[in-house]
Amino acid sequence: MTHIPPHTPVAAPAPHSAPADAPMLRRPAMPADPPRAVVRVTQPDLMRRAILDKTRGRLVIAAFGFATLFGAVALKLAMATVIHPAEPRRAVALSRPPAPPAEAPVARATVTDRNGEILAVSLPLTALYANPRQIENAPEAADRLRRVLPELDRERLIQRLSGERQFAYIARALTPRQVAQVNTLGIPGLYFEEAERRFFPQGRTAAHIIGGVDVDGNGIAGVERSFDQRLRAQPNERLRLSLDIRVQLALREAVQRAIDEFNGIGGAGVVMDVNTGEVLSMVSLPDYDANDVGAATNDQRFNRVTVGVYEPGSTFKLLTASMALENGLQPWQGYDASRPISVGRFTINDYRGKGRWLALPEILAYSSNLASAHMAAAVGVNRHRDFLQRMGMTARLRIEIPETALPLVPSQRTWRELNTMTIGFGHGISVTPLHVATAGATIANGGILRQPTILAVPPGTQREGTRVISERTSEIMRRMMRLVVTDGSGRGADVPGYFVGGKTGTAQKTGPRGGYLENKRIAAFIGAFPMYAPRYAVYVMVDEPKPNARSHGFATAGWVAAPAAGMVISRIAPILGMLPEPVTPEITRAITMPMNGRGIPGYNPPAAAPATRPAAPARPSGQPAAAAPQREASLVPR
Amino acid sequence: MIFERRLLTRDRGAGILEKLWQIPWSFVLLLGGVAAIGYVALLSAGSGNADLYAQKHAIRFGFGVVVMLGLALVDIRLIARFASLGYLGGIVLLVLVLMHGNVGKGAQRWIDIGPVQLQPSELMKIMLVVALAAWFHRASWERIGNPLFLVPAAIAVLLPVGLILKQPNLGTALITGMVGAAVFWAAGVRWWKFALVGAAGAVAAPIAYERLHDYQRARITTFLDPESDPLGAGYNIIQSKIALGSGGLWGKGFLQGTQGHLNFLPEKQTDFIFTMIAEEFGLVGALTTLGMLMLVVAFCYVVAFRSKHQFGRLVAIGLGTNYFLYIFVNVAMVTGSIPVGGVPLPLISHGGSAMLTVMVGFGLLLSAYVHRDAEMGPMRE
Repeated sequence: MTHIPPHTPVAAPAPHSAPADAPMLRRPAMPADPPRAVVRVTQPDLMRRAILDKTRGRLVIAAFGFATLFGAVALKLAMATVIHPAEPRRAVALSRPPAPPAEAPVARATVTDRNGEILAVSLPLTALYANPRQIENAPEAADRLRRVLPELDRERLIQRLSGERQFAYIARALTPRQVAQVNTLGIPGLYFEEAERRFFPQGRTAAHIIGGVDVDGNGIAGVERSFDQRLRAQPNERLRLSLDIRVQLALREAVQRAIDEFNGIGGAGVVMDVNTGEVLSMVSLPDYDANDVGAATNDQRFNRVTVGVYEPGSTFKLLTASMALENGLQPWQGYDASRPISVGRFTINDYRGKGRWLALPEILAYSSNLASAHMAAAVGVNRHRDFLQRMGMTARLRIEIPETALPLVPSQRTWRELNTMTIGFGHGISVTPLHVATAGATIANGGILRQPTILAVPPGTQREGTRVISERTSEIMRRMMRLVVTDGSGRGADVPGYFVGGKTGTAQKTGPRGGYLENKRIAAFIGAFPMYAPRYAVYVMVDEPKPNARSHGFATAGWVAAPAAGMVISRIAPILGMLPEPVTPEITRAITMPMNGRGIPGYNPPAAAPATRPAAPARPSGQPAAAAPQREASLVPR
Repeated sequence: MIFERRLLTRDRGAGILEKLWQIPWSFVLLLGGVAAIGYVALLSAGSGNADLYAQKHAIRFGFGVVVMLGLALVDIRLIARFASLGYLGGIVLLVLVLMHGNVGKGAQRWIDIGPVQLQPSELMKIMLVVALAAWFHRASWERIGNPLFLVPAAIAVLLPVGLILKQPNLGTALITGMVGAAVFWAAGVRWWKFALVGAAGAVAAPIAYERLHDYQRARITTFLDPESDPLGAGYNIIQSKIALGSGGLWGKGFLQGTQGHLNFLPEKQTDFIFTMIAEEFGLVGALTTLGMLMLVVAFCYVVAFRSKHQFGRLVAIGLGTNYFLYIFVNVAMVTGSIPVGGVPLPLISHGGSAMLTVMVGFGLLLSAYVHRDAEMGPMRE
């Protein structure tokens, strides 16, 4: 800053005639151009310059003041982050893998999620009990006790303190301060017992997985129950679950929002690593606070993901299509969906059907019941049942929590043609949401079925699994799942950059006396992402969604579950370390296919002209057609 | 003063290209850098989902840059001439917000103008600075010493402060008062007059405390002892401190901050965005952010020093003080140094009207810089 003498007669310069950063040039001693050089420097003008000059010192002071304050907050910031952080203990605990034995050792191990966030922990506490025979004046003792423990009910306390028993619990969890206060009361007949109490810091966020413990600390549900022995035997070894509490929170929020928006009575969600079978998140709503299992209603305690069996609806068409591909159907072949099928007193129909012959990708994209029924029937009853058995759809899942359910499947005796046809589009069979999620993961991961697990799999280890479908089938299925999301009923689930694929499914619920209920539905979406190399499977289900104005009167999965799944994916993908990928030609080549199923790189149809489109129903080349000619004949619509 | 009119007309002809050349583009770049930090932080606040906050932030900043550059080209004398009009407009908006404003967190703070929500108190601060600068620009040294000359200016400060207090928004009212005081100070008002007002304030403070809202009193008491109410009013500060502590020197990494992503951190996209930055990028990231914001304030001082007229200097000082207080109060708040005041971080926090008013202020600042050599006589009333 050049100091400008205040009394210099100043020639009026043409503003901006000089470069900004050369102040000397702005004050030529003599004007170069006489006509505009005549300048009278007036008295007020001089005064103003004087003020400018006098106040300059003040600016310097203020600048110093601001700089000091900035320095002060910077210092404070350094204090808060590095020099004296508010909670250094946790950072230290995370960097030391095995938890050191606490000063008061507890008898039950801590349970954490995959990142070490604590889900269940035991804290040592003191329990207070009485020997009523030694209490002399029960009402007086009760009144004095209530001065320290005012939360106790007087009547019940008197009742507990009197009588002929030798032992009665007064309070289960006292803090050290309360212990000291009770001691100073000096009431004979009161005793302390070292106890511990289980705390669930995440409350209701993962309640169904953790389960809970009873007042004596025995696991009564969930992981607490299935690992009861392990948690007691190695109390100093943390039990690390495959759960990611951040994903759990995001999934729970998304499902809850979908339930609220469509007035559902409940909902479920699963996020699973397709390559290891690890369950990253499992949500069943409504849920309960794991710290207070006693207050939970039956509906809240019911784990819809592992115990609830529902008709999977159209999501099962993924299985039917995989099976047909395994049995020789080609992606460019298809089935007729123009006429309803009537078997006995049942009629199978399409929801908003196209009423024409459909190629395999179209069958999934438009979710045709008719074509799926034809497709399942063409494979045949026995092969269909075997396939579902291999996919694990007929047995209990071997996940490590006690609450699992057996799917409702027709027995071998009662499984007939009609069952195969209805199961082909996901009706007449009931499985848990976790079954559907596992099937989705298997189809997307290249065809290897791994039982879902709730325990963290150490990185680098390969979990055993069984190959149930071929790589080729899995690849075609991935393309078709992507097609459903880009051009079919699952559009709501798409998240730019993550290449989501999947299948929607709306199933009507069955009533108590059998038969379908018109307005009670299950809306579900099973998907995986990113489809060019799937990493996670996502399942979202809403129980009994009601149509609303924003969904234009629809309560189908495409309106209810698919957008919720999209919301889940957009929130969890960045947390799981995946950044959105731009669309590249390689990715496009790897995951797209046309609606007519022709022209997938590597899988070209024979050079037959499309004019030779097969008549209804199409005959898949190879095995199935040869194997079941009569059966197909019986399927010709009447 | 005949020459001035001639110069004025001549100066108006100064080409737009020439003015564009005068705009300090490195400063515009600096603002872009700060806004980029805001984009990253808001991306994290939205758990990596740009649609939630970050995208809007970028769009608003882009719009703000256009507004700012437009204002930078407006002749500073024109701005000075319409200063009182802007001030009156601000007062009208403040009255409107009291009558028809939307209530948020126990206070009337914004009005809906079509799709935009406007917080008149933010706009008012800028208008006040411009109006005060115009007032003092006319002053001679004697007149500044004259209390009668100061009285209208003092009323011009107290009127909006009172209206904002009525909303009630204690934090913004205090900042508005301090910004006004800074302009008085830079104009050269004597020390003892500040001391006098300060003493009067000290006497009035206990009476004012009596009349404060409960939540405002709670802020003051929890500031003195945050642990006194760990689940209530002290919750924010404690969670913020834990987040800062868990960040450490280098931070937990982008999107890895548990305090933020597990929703322990309140208002993480607005008031506590700085905590988010500190948790995920550590002390290094936080100090970088703070340093860049400090450069922004420093630039206000550069403008003040280089301005050859009192008006430009006072505008720069007033705006600089405003931004400084924003930053200081916000950072001091999240580190638990002062009570929680609900002040956003300029250019970084999520919020449309805040971004717009901040950019309008920068536009005025740039205009003061571009026209720093303009000859400005005392303006005619």
